[in-house]
Amino acid sequence: MPVYNCISPAGAVPMDVRPKIAKAFTDIHCDSTGAPRSFVHVFFKETPEGADSGYDTPHYIDAGNRAGRPAEVVLKLKNDLRQAYAENAGVAVDQVGARIVEGPARWSMEGGHILPEPGQEGAEWYAHAAD
Amino acid sequence: MITFRCIVQEGCIPLDIRPRLVSGLAGITAEVLGAAPDDVQVEFNEIPRGAGYRGGELSTTSLVRGAIPPGCEQPVREQLLMKLCDMWCEVTGCGVDEVVVNASDQGYVPNVY
Repeated sequence: MPVYNCISPAGAVPMDVRPKIAKAFTDIHCDSTGAPRSFVHVFFKETPEGADSGYDTPHYIDAGNRAGRPAEVVLKLKNDLRQAYAENAGVAVDQVGARIVEGPARWSMEGGHILPEPGQEGAEWYAHAAD
Repeated sequence: MITFRCIVQEGCIPLDIRPRLVSGLAGITAEVLGAAPDDVQVEFNEIPRGAGYRGGELSTTSLVRGAIPPGCEQPVREQLLMKLCDMWCEVTGCGVDEVVVNASDQGYVPNVY
């Protein structure tokens, strides 16, 4: 379910850096939420030269996540993601904006199962997710 | 208008099967929600190779994201999601773990951090 869209100026995040950011985001998300690694999606999108990305910083992490986690967890997650992106992409952290948009887990199906609410993942669900 | 945005990885969902996916999405939505098939709009966004990751590795997963009329009861929503998931796997030949399906209420105002 978590989807992290990384928006950057064209050519600003080389191909060899992207797997590092994707792995860092996966580590951060799983460490802070306990989610299975296979649930973390990371996409990279480039803003063409001269075009307006629509975001207020050159680099931006536009994320979608399950609702229901404490605000402090979500805010720490957002900050950690910005830091990791900045470090890997070699840009100042103030050039990396971010937002996390939350939606109900029960509106999504992954691996043929309706997503549980955060904190309601049972052992059976984790076993399935690890397959 | 009910919309589906299909985010697919380059090279994973051939162009020639996409019309069947569009028909499947429209037909199932009409059947489950009672919508007219013509009221279902589908678009594909292809993620270039090297730009999509899952679990830190290159992804082959498709994300099918729908926006449906608000007020859908959860059992109906689950039926819709299951049928869409099954159809997607049947048409594409992908595994059930290679598709994520979502049906969100139109006009939903989410939490934003």
